[in-house]
Amino acid sequence: MIIRRISHYLCNYENIVPLFAGACAFIVLIGILLLPIQYHNDQLYPKTIDRNSTLDPYDRGGPPFAQATIRAQYPENSPSAGLVTSYLTPFSQFLADTTPHLGTTIVAHPGGILDEILYNTRGLDTVVEPTILFIAFAIASYLYRKGS
Amino acid sequence: MSNLAGIPYYVLEFGDELVYFTPYTITLFLLALTFTIFVLVSRPERQVDIAFGGDAYTTKEITISEMRFRRFMAIACGLASMGAMVTGDIFNFTLFTAMVGITNVGIVAAVKSPHVQNAAFQYGLVALTATVPLFGGAAVYAAATGSLSMIELAKGTLPAVPFVAKAFLVLGVIGEGMAPFYAAKAEMFRAPGAPYVIMCSLSSLLIFLRVIEVVMLG
Repeated sequence: MIIRRISHYLCNYENIVPLFAGACAFIVLIGILLLPIQYHNDQLYPKTIDRNSTLDPYDRGGPPFAQATIRAQYPENSPSAGLVTSYLTPFSQFLADTTPHLGTTIVAHPGGILDEILYNTRGLDTVVEPTILFIAFAIASYLYRKGS
Repeated sequence: MSNLAGIPYYVLEFGDELVYFTPYTITLFLLALTFTIFVLVSRPERQVDIAFGGDAYTTKEITISEMRFRRFMAIACGLASMGAMVTGDIFNFTLFTAMVGITNVGIVAAVKSPHVQNAAFQYGLVALTATVPLFGGAAVYAAATGSLSMIELAKGTLPAVPFVAKAFLVLGVIGEGMAPFYAAKAEMFRAPGAPYVIMCSLSSLLIFLRVIEVVMLG
């Protein structure tokens, strides 16, 4: 009987969203009760924050055309990590030279800074992320055109 | 690597992200691959509505553009499922799971039926919300252990993964795959086009099977 009632409640799909929201709230509450979670200090890809840099917080440092130290999980798989620590188009370079905080505009203009970790050691993530974005665009454009 | 579901036959290296093929992951991968090939070569079913009390029936028409779009989404869903089955990185797994969620919405949203679209909209809301616990779980994994590699977590040398991180990850997968909410999916299955809607169900089943392995690590 209980299962039948639960099934009956779930078969109305408008109940799914509040149910999932309730589950999220419940798990978050458990998470709060289980605090503190111990932070592990030995992290991958550490970097020092230089607040005076115009590329802050994406400035990984290192002189141009020299290899900066990058602590990766499997350094043998990324021998060129640290050779290029930021990618700037001439326009981005101009903004970095003339404005105080280009780093905060990472996705706000084409050719901004991209953290080299994304390209080098975690390249597969970089491929999947825009794929999700393009699929979302494809769905949105199909739905928009379907109405016409 | 005793916690991994079997010793990897082969490890493919993408920088810090390893893709590994154990007996468990390769089975799930082949299942996703086989069904994706079916979707690629098959034509959609045409639903038939029969009127009770008479011999009248109607066959629903599926336009070429709708079929193409849904096939594209089903293939993308299959590829995302394959990626989620074999990836050896927690964050990469969450990304593939999010991709499965959005392609599932795409498969059903292309149908011209208010009832189906309403169900897809509700499901889309859940999939959207589920990204918060999903990526939050991966973030807690990284903060508490300092690593996202499943192979490193399986070695047992890193600190234990907090219960909350695992709970967030499972909750996120439930939301993206709608695993226990098949009632809602049944509403979406009113959409015509058999091989494509089944892909929603299969992908949720696969990512749910994979997340069981993931939470047993660490």
